[in-house]
Amino acid sequence: MPFDQALRFASIWLASTSFIGLALGAGLPEWLAALTGAALIVAFLRNRGHKSVERLARFSPISPAGWNLLVIVGFLGFWVDMLWVSGELLPAGIHFLMILMIIKLFNLKLRRDYLHLYAISLVAILASGSLTTDLWYLPIFLLYLLAGVWTLLLFQLTKHPEETQVLTMSGTVRSQASASVHLVTPQFFWLANGLAFATFGLTLAIFFTVPRVSAGFYQKGVGENMRTSGFSETVNLGEIGPIKRDPSVVMRVELADGSPNKADGLYLRGVAFDQYDGKAWTNRLGYRRSVNEDGTGAFVLLGNRSAAPARLGETIRQNILLEPLDTPVLFAAPFIERVSGKFPSVQSDLTGSAYLPFPSSSRIEYSVLSRSNPVLPADLSSEPSLYPESFTRHFLQIPVQSERIAILAKEVTHTQRATFDKVHAIQSFLAHNFHYSLDAPLAELNHPLEEFLFSRKTGYCEHYATAMVMMLRTVGIPARLVTGFLATEWNEYGNYYLVRQQDAHAWVEVYLPHSGWITMDPTPPSLESVGSNSPAWHALGRMMDTVRLQWSRFFVQYSAADQLAVVRELKAGGTSARNKALDSMGTLFNPFMAMVGGIKEYVFNGTISSLAEVLGLALIGLAFFLWLGIKRPWAKAMAGKKTTRDQQPIVQLYGRMIGHLARKGISKPASSPPLEFVRLTQERWRDAGSAVGSITELYCRARFGQISPTRAELSLAEGHLRYLMALHKP
Amino acid sequence: MLRQFPSLLRQLFRHRSTRVTSEGVQFLLFTLAIGIAAINTGNNLFYLLLAMMLSLVLISGIVAEHSLRRLEFHRHLPDHLMVNEPTTATLVAKNRKSQLPSFSLKLFDVSDGREVDRGLEIPQLLPGTSRLVSYSLVATRRGRLQLDGICVGTEFPFGLFMKRTFYQIEDTVIVWPEIKPIDERLLQGLLTAGSEQSVHRRGHGNDLYNLRLYQAGDDSRNIHWPTTARTSQLTVRETEAEEQRRATVYLPTVAPVSHDALFEQAVSVTASIIRHLAHRGYILQLVVGSSRSSFGQGDLHLLELLRMLAVCERHSPHGESAVPGDQPGDLFEVQGGTMIAVQSWRGPWDIEPQHPTIMVDGAVIGGASDAV
Repeated sequence: MPFDQALRFASIWLASTSFIGLALGAGLPEWLAALTGAALIVAFLRNRGHKSVERLARFSPISPAGWNLLVIVGFLGFWVDMLWVSGELLPAGIHFLMILMIIKLFNLKLRRDYLHLYAISLVAILASGSLTTDLWYLPIFLLYLLAGVWTLLLFQLTKHPEETQVLTMSGTVRSQASASVHLVTPQFFWLANGLAFATFGLTLAIFFTVPRVSAGFYQKGVGENMRTSGFSETVNLGEIGPIKRDPSVVMRVELADGSPNKADGLYLRGVAFDQYDGKAWTNRLGYRRSVNEDGTGAFVLLGNRSAAPARLGETIRQNILLEPLDTPVLFAAPFIERVSGKFPSVQSDLTGSAYLPFPSSSRIEYSVLSRSNPVLPADLSSEPSLYPESFTRHFLQIPVQSERIAILAKEVTHTQRATFDKVHAIQSFLAHNFHYSLDAPLAELNHPLEEFLFSRKTGYCEHYATAMVMMLRTVGIPARLVTGFLATEWNEYGNYYLVRQQDAHAWVEVYLPHSGWITMDPTPPSLESVGSNSPAWHALGRMMDTVRLQWSRFFVQYSAADQLAVVRELKAGGTSARNKALDSMGTLFNPFMAMVGGIKEYVFNGTISSLAEVLGLALIGLAFFLWLGIKRPWAKAMAGKKTTRDQQPIVQLYGRMIGHLARKGISKPASSPPLEFVRLTQERWRDAGSAVGSITELYCRARFGQISPTRAELSLAEGHLRYLMALHKP
Repeated sequence: MLRQFPSLLRQLFRHRSTRVTSEGVQFLLFTLAIGIAAINTGNNLFYLLLAMMLSLVLISGIVAEHSLRRLEFHRHLPDHLMVNEPTTATLVAKNRKSQLPSFSLKLFDVSDGREVDRGLEIPQLLPGTSRLVSYSLVATRRGRLQLDGICVGTEFPFGLFMKRTFYQIEDTVIVWPEIKPIDERLLQGLLTAGSEQSVHRRGHGNDLYNLRLYQAGDDSRNIHWPTTARTSQLTVRETEAEEQRRATVYLPTVAPVSHDALFEQAVSVTASIIRHLAHRGYILQLVVGSSRSSFGQGDLHLLELLRMLAVCERHSPHGESAVPGDQPGDLFEVQGGTMIAVQSWRGPWDIEPQHPTIMVDGAVIGGASDAV
């Protein structure tokens, strides 16, 4: 393919890539996306030489002035779009950019037009980058880079083809040579792709090393935050149900231990509720206060220190990557003790939940140290105790219409004496006598909890948890409802829990006098599943999510702090590597150093003559190295090797001639230079003189004058050799 | 080793220069804009684009450097040039790299420290191959034309920068003064003056003087065979004595700065006269200022005289009353022949002459003002 045509293809490819990026990121209006796509297809077909498209383009009714007028109209449209239609600069600008691209695609005539198209494409890919952080940007970027390298390369190579003055001996050779110079050959193909590969490698190196000056907490948000429910101050019963069909990823949780140690998943606590009015839960203890930082920059939540001795609780260290949600809640395993992340501040309420000052508009990453409360033996046998009024007001509150529930709770627990046994009995009762289903439209009913417990006996986590809390409270055990997520999907490729909207969950926290708040979950495992059941598909999904996470970690979220961490790691690694290298070098050079030491000793203890011997040897060695440095015999060998490629044909031809002459009795003396040998040959075999002279002249020119023979000269020389071989020597 | 030291230094500090092309300027402006956007927003995808553009800049530099490395040039020039007369020069470029080709090479002649663009471009030079390019070389001044080397530039790979490097290939060519056809009136003047001075007589020479019958003692090599055959009588050929066709051309070199152009005109006229007389078989001597050639004849002698004219320089007079220099008339009279003087300046009273003055044996030639 000629360079010109390849340039047109590459330019359309570049424009297409940026258009796809923009279409994926910006959600272009259908008509604009269709129009731009059509313009790209027409441009592509025109370049392929599609006759009907070419004819159509030739009879285009729009003149150059008309196109300019269209640009002006497009610009006016941009203002109209910005002021009245989109109402924002960015969408209106993107629409105008696409209009410009369409106009330019129909006007690709001059090199200047191509430059304009490249500029439009660059702005488009830039706009695309400002609108997304998704993984699809990576392949689009790679395609753009590849197209960019090809385009720039071809644009440069087609710059001045008409000014080239390459002279060769024969016209045929000339036309062939110049034609091959301007064709996309396999070598050129690999060269361009190799350059693109090198550019990508260098891009990565620069990307990771260029200092991040802006290292703010909140990056500019991309689009709207993910809508979730169940984490506001008031939650209607059944509110979580709808989101339990949503497979969107909410967060990813890495455990410091590396792998989950529980088969039943990881509870990620969000918000706790104390008040239930029969239809909705409210958190009356939701007053938030700022949490203090300790010396290491971590926020310490003192209120979550349990009554149980701290050493008994199981600690869980988590690293959480939270997607932008419409809630400021910081999710973590119960109960949070320390939170660290790039936050200006962290708040907490009296139920031990942690919050950001406001919902983050971008993905955030934070680390949490949590400690669960074990059930102490003292609580296994004790009866319900008396609590202060302030405590019972919140956690023993019961809505007025709960008599049936109280009777049921007493029935379930009447055989149990210990508090924990009662708790366990209620949990077991709910888990075994009710059916889990997301198709439980209880929210519209006046008494959803009674409906769940006594009529339908079908519901989901909220109903189970609410029922348990109410039953516990009616028997005098303080309890509260907690919403959050139950992480069960372990990603074995990335070693983290993948938490989706569908993992939203509600469970119960029960207060035991000696142990404190402990987590109980009456909801039986769900047999319903969302999406495909294919394990292979799930595995692929997890694999893709790992890639997505790495993309997010190393590209989208990469920050100055990461750079500092890398530098520290390198420094530590470098010191250790240097020490190791020094040790290895020492081992390697020990015998040599011992020998040098021995020589030194020999010199100092010896006579003048021995000193002279050593010095003489050293000088000889030095001279040898100097000689090597100046003469560089390897360079000569390499140079000799390198000259052969171009000169090989004529050198071989000359060798064949020498061999033939030797067979005819005219041997070339070693001391005789080529031209001298010509004279000698002419004297002894007059007829062969001219042929030998011609071949020798070409040989000398190539060998000593560094002027390689052309193809025509070579074929002439071959003719001379054939003539020489056919000649009869008298 | 000491002899190699200067070349080693040259190699180490070989001149490199980089110029940003118009496309490169636009590219850098875009890079700057993306950089500002990246810093302003902290968006890592902007940083990624910025890194891509910076890496394209870096790759440009690295690849261009490799394109320009390990090239070899040989220039082939004629032995001499003539002012304003185009001559074909050839240049052999060889890529001595074993693996990497060189692309989009633009070659510039470097003369007296200036780069001269002769429109030479080699689109592709594969590893180990050479390419011959030729160009028209026109010298605008007589004297020694010093060619310092070749400056090679490339915009490869992305056309963002023009990177150049210098390869030293020193060449010196003598540029003769311009030779123009001699005007008919001047020609007549020269011939008339010559004939007044000369008396034709027999002697040793090449030109025919007379044919006469063979006499005893004549050299048999002088027998003119065509006439002998036609008349059936042995006829011998007598030649004209050569000293009658001697001429000394004198070019004074003393002239003020204001007469510089006129001096160059005088040099050109002198060269034209010399070549004209040489072609007519004259034995010529050239006196340029204080330097003087021997009398001689033939192409080699002509080349020597033109070379003297090519390198001669004008000297400013020492004072107001200075005269154009001593007339070496005595010498000419002794040696015989015609004396032709071409003067660009005749003395302080010679204010603004339009043309050099041509004198043959002391007499100003009519029509010499627009001689050539």
